[in-house]
Amino acid sequence: MAAFSSMHCPLSYSSSIYGGKDQSFISSASPRFSVPAKAKVFVQSPGNSHQNAVLMQDGAVATKVSLVGKETHIEKLERDLMSITSLKEWDEKAGSDINENESTVSITVVGASGDLAKKKIFPALFALYYEGCLPKHFTIYGYARSKMTDAELRNMVSKTLTCRIDKRENCGEKMDEFLKRCFYHSGQYDSEENFAQLDKKLEEHEGGRVSNRLFYLSIPPNIFINAVKCASTSASSGNGWTRVIVEKPFGRDSESSAALTKALKQYLNEDQIFRIDHYLGKELVENLSVLRFSNLIFEPLWSRRYIRNVQLIFSEDFGTEGRGGYFDHYGIIRDIMQNHLLQILALFAMETPISLDAEDIRNEKVKVLRSMRPLRLEDVVIGQYKSHTKGGVTYPGYTDDKTVPKDSLTPTFAAAALFIDNARWDGVPFLMKAGKALNNKRAEIRVQFRHVPGNLYNRKFGTDLDQATNELVIRVQPDEAIYLKINNKVPGLGMRLDRSNLNLHYAARYSKEIPDAYERLLLDAVEGERRLFIRSDELDAAWSLFTPVLAELEEKKIIPEYYPYGSRGPVGAHYLAARYNVRWGDLGVEQSV
Amino acid sequence: MAAQIIPCSSPSSSSSLAFPSEFNLCNPRKCCFSRWVSQVCPRIRTRNHFRIKTSNGHPLNAVSMQGGMDGNPLAKGINPEEQEDFFIDISDGEEAHSTLSITVVGASGDLAKKKIFPALFALYYEDWLPENFVIFGYARTKLTDEELRNMISRTLTCRIDKRANCEDKMEQFLKRCFYHSGEYSSEEHFAELDSKLKEKEAGKRSNRLFYLSIPPNIFVDVVRCASRKASSANGWTRVIVEKPFGRDSESSAELTRCLKKYLTEEQIFRIDHYLGKELVENLSVLRFSNLVFEPLWSRNYIRNVQFIFSEDFGTEGRGGYFDNYGIIRDIMQNHLLQILALFAMETPVSLDAEDIRNEKVKVLRSMKPLELEDVIIGQYKGHNKGGRTYPGYIDDSTVPSNSITPTFAAAALFINNARWDGVPFLMKAGKALHRKRAEIRVQFRHVPGNLYKRNFGTDLDKATNELVLRVQPDEAIYLKINNKVPGLGMRLDRSDLNLLYRARYPSEIPDAYERLLLDAIAGERRLFIRSDELDAAWSLFTPLLKELEAKKIAPELYPYGSRGPVGAHYLAAKYNVRWGDLGGDDD
Repeated sequence: MAAFSSMHCPLSYSSSIYGGKDQSFISSASPRFSVPAKAKVFVQSPGNSHQNAVLMQDGAVATKVSLVGKETHIEKLERDLMSITSLKEWDEKAGSDINENESTVSITVVGASGDLAKKKIFPALFALYYEGCLPKHFTIYGYARSKMTDAELRNMVSKTLTCRIDKRENCGEKMDEFLKRCFYHSGQYDSEENFAQLDKKLEEHEGGRVSNRLFYLSIPPNIFINAVKCASTSASSGNGWTRVIVEKPFGRDSESSAALTKALKQYLNEDQIFRIDHYLGKELVENLSVLRFSNLIFEPLWSRRYIRNVQLIFSEDFGTEGRGGYFDHYGIIRDIMQNHLLQILALFAMETPISLDAEDIRNEKVKVLRSMRPLRLEDVVIGQYKSHTKGGVTYPGYTDDKTVPKDSLTPTFAAAALFIDNARWDGVPFLMKAGKALNNKRAEIRVQFRHVPGNLYNRKFGTDLDQATNELVIRVQPDEAIYLKINNKVPGLGMRLDRSNLNLHYAARYSKEIPDAYERLLLDAVEGERRLFIRSDELDAAWSLFTPVLAELEEKKIIPEYYPYGSRGPVGAHYLAARYNVRWGDLGVEQSV
Repeated sequence: MAAQIIPCSSPSSSSSLAFPSEFNLCNPRKCCFSRWVSQVCPRIRTRNHFRIKTSNGHPLNAVSMQGGMDGNPLAKGINPEEQEDFFIDISDGEEAHSTLSITVVGASGDLAKKKIFPALFALYYEDWLPENFVIFGYARTKLTDEELRNMISRTLTCRIDKRANCEDKMEQFLKRCFYHSGEYSSEEHFAELDSKLKEKEAGKRSNRLFYLSIPPNIFVDVVRCASRKASSANGWTRVIVEKPFGRDSESSAELTRCLKKYLTEEQIFRIDHYLGKELVENLSVLRFSNLVFEPLWSRNYIRNVQFIFSEDFGTEGRGGYFDNYGIIRDIMQNHLLQILALFAMETPVSLDAEDIRNEKVKVLRSMKPLELEDVIIGQYKGHNKGGRTYPGYIDDSTVPSNSITPTFAAAALFINNARWDGVPFLMKAGKALHRKRAEIRVQFRHVPGNLYKRNFGTDLDKATNELVLRVQPDEAIYLKINNKVPGLGMRLDRSDLNLLYRARYPSEIPDAYERLLLDAIAGERRLFIRSDELDAAWSLFTPLLKELEAKKIAPELYPYGSRGPVGAHYLAAKYNVRWGDLGGDDD
């Protein structure tokens, strides 16, 4: 299902259907494709809405049903295409088969004046609109406490909109059209009355069509529940679906997370909750499964037999910069590790799912998480950055941030070693590292392979065979790339070996701009594709790995190891790695490549 | 003793590795040739026992072995200091007392001018040759030393990445080059050469290398004369011979038998210059020093392997020699089959020449002799393109106008062993095709139960992984993988994980002849073909070649500059293979 359901845009549709050429799985992004694509979007929305309405209690069934629906539709498209369907026929089909005119999507951004909304959500919505990925009838509502007119909202939104660099035509025009669909409603987050007013306005725009409503909660966690209660009681759709996207933090530990889930479920059921983890929407994280499962050469290597360790690395080259208030309450482990890195780990390590359906994939992810040992204190190193003067510039320490308490022990850096106790991964250390104010900005997955048993070339490698092993690196950001370090003979008359990269640099291979993670996730939410969203049981499993160590850190008031702003982080991370015979791949001799 | 084979040693330090008893270690079986042999085998043995096995005889090994300990075995670039280390490390006590004479027999020929002398100069320029060496040209033409130098100097070039002192070096090199004119079958003339060599050697221990760059019909004469009259009295004597090594099993066996009348196996260096190519050398490194390849290297994962060789020109007036052999003998039976054996062999016990060649012979002996129905032959015909006429093969005035000699061939081979049972190994070689290329393509099987099946259309085999080693031109290694096209959809696409040598290694890659000459000097036999290898190779091709000739099978004609006869596709199709080089994506 997943393979298809996210293929809705002109750019993306096609692969499975358009065969024929020599490389049948590559089809160009010709405009022709936009027709079936659109047709499909509209087929789906009303279909899904009914299913959701009927089968809300059982997500699995709902998806299954919609899968069947989709497959038959795809097959039909395929047949039709074989018989050389003209564009016109497509239009007719789209018109007759599908009552697209009768459904509409309203997207309400709750917390519209916030930073995330301005920087990510509105631009992502515009990008989707620009690419023709949004349904024909849609409206976007901003909701926040500030008093604003529609024009003021549009003004605010327009400042952050950009067109994709590879397609600049009609940008201004498109922007105007998009802004015309944007409206604003001012209200309190806990006022059912204000939400009821919003509901009226939405109904007006919906004009009697089947209404599907998506609420994006871009608000602090303490008002999640209130907003959800009000939206659900006073502004949910009468005849279509209602979905709510929530962003982290999902609680601070197992208990608070469970409480939040419980509260959300008072007003929503599982299918309506879309917990976003924007790392899952990143191109190379999406590609991780493609690499593993569509190439013969990786899967045989994907186990303890060949993999020595896996490293998940996240670093930022800036600190909290005056916005440490929120962060200080959570710390890097909750902010990055427990969600982003752990999600990537689960995707990396999961068994082959039965299909690409959201439920199948999430089932496998949960299995991985539940096979993991809860993190122990001795397997964690925490750090906090301190101020540092370099080249005459003084960079502030974490506690120099005014919004952070002077005596804060909140970690801004953490490294951890995790283990998966299953047949595939027994004994393989999964190392995570995340930090702020480090020397570079990076997110990557590094897979270090074992050394070659009985290597004929052993003597060329010095004493530490592990330093010359193969390594697969998936760089998520910046500069998306995949490369495999291999040992290679240095050309010349001698027999010197050297590590070279077999590499794929996205910027060189794909000239198009890679869409932002939020675009994909918003589109998936509109389409009801849950693959990249976190299910409640996944969240529980994730928390139960981290909660004990978080509690212990706080209770014992463990003091973080200080590291200078802009440095490579605390050396403790090396000792942690050394304990498990690992060497961080990003801090080697050959920096950064 | 050890020192004499180390090409770049400089005079220094003591001779810890040289000890006289080595001479007695020599294989007693060969005592009748003791004069020859004794110099040969001790070196190898000594090395194996003493030098912690340098594996291929290249001095740098010694360096990386010892230098590797310091925690950075991957240091990039050649560190001159490490080389220094090496020089000190190797004993040179013997060096000063020994000398190397290289005689290029057939010095006025094309190969000598284009390849051998330039390769020798490159080795000299890079300091790989021992301190005392002389080079002699030998041919029938009357030339003075000066004329020879003049002739040679035109084809010498310095490596592009190091132009310093080029002129100086060239002059110094030319001063070491001499010429002796003589008949190839005259023992007397070789005796004259011997006295000249002795003069140059000035009483030092003499090691002599003869490079036979002459037509095959005079191989044996020259070897006889050289062996009887001009071999070294107190050092080693080695002879490099180039293909053709016969036309079939019988003639090859006869040639070997004749050579062995005058030379021992250890003295014969049968060159296959494809084995000296950088990427062919790297093939074993890739397989055996990376964890990620070896698990995939079998019928479980590999669907087929393709060895492709093409030239974009025809015989161009020099078809006389070729017409007697044809493309199968000229390219397939040697170059491609050698690469195949290296590709498919089991892991050898060590990187020693004998261990590797043992494994190669095993592969060859596990193969089925080629059958007529698994071969397609072709011959290029004239073609007009853009107002230009390209001549057909039989338009070549040196070729009989009724010749049915193949200038193109494609063949399917099979290795009947546990690793490769049922995997087709396809070979293709041709002249006058649309481009020049030599490459190895490994096509993997499709992913079992692929979750992304629907993204690939109906033919799953079109979307499999493929590993390509491009030997020439533009050396590269790339692995085709399926990848998600960035964007909101889920479109898959094949991308390359690649390593383009030009981009990664800016220095020029040495010519295959440089490596092979150096190995011959060092007595490293890994890249040379042993007699039993040669026999095994011929026995795969001989029945087929005879049948082609007996039945006068007419080749399929293809236009000059085309992609070759379509028959090659049908042959591939028969084994469910699709040529990787003629696909939609043209690389």
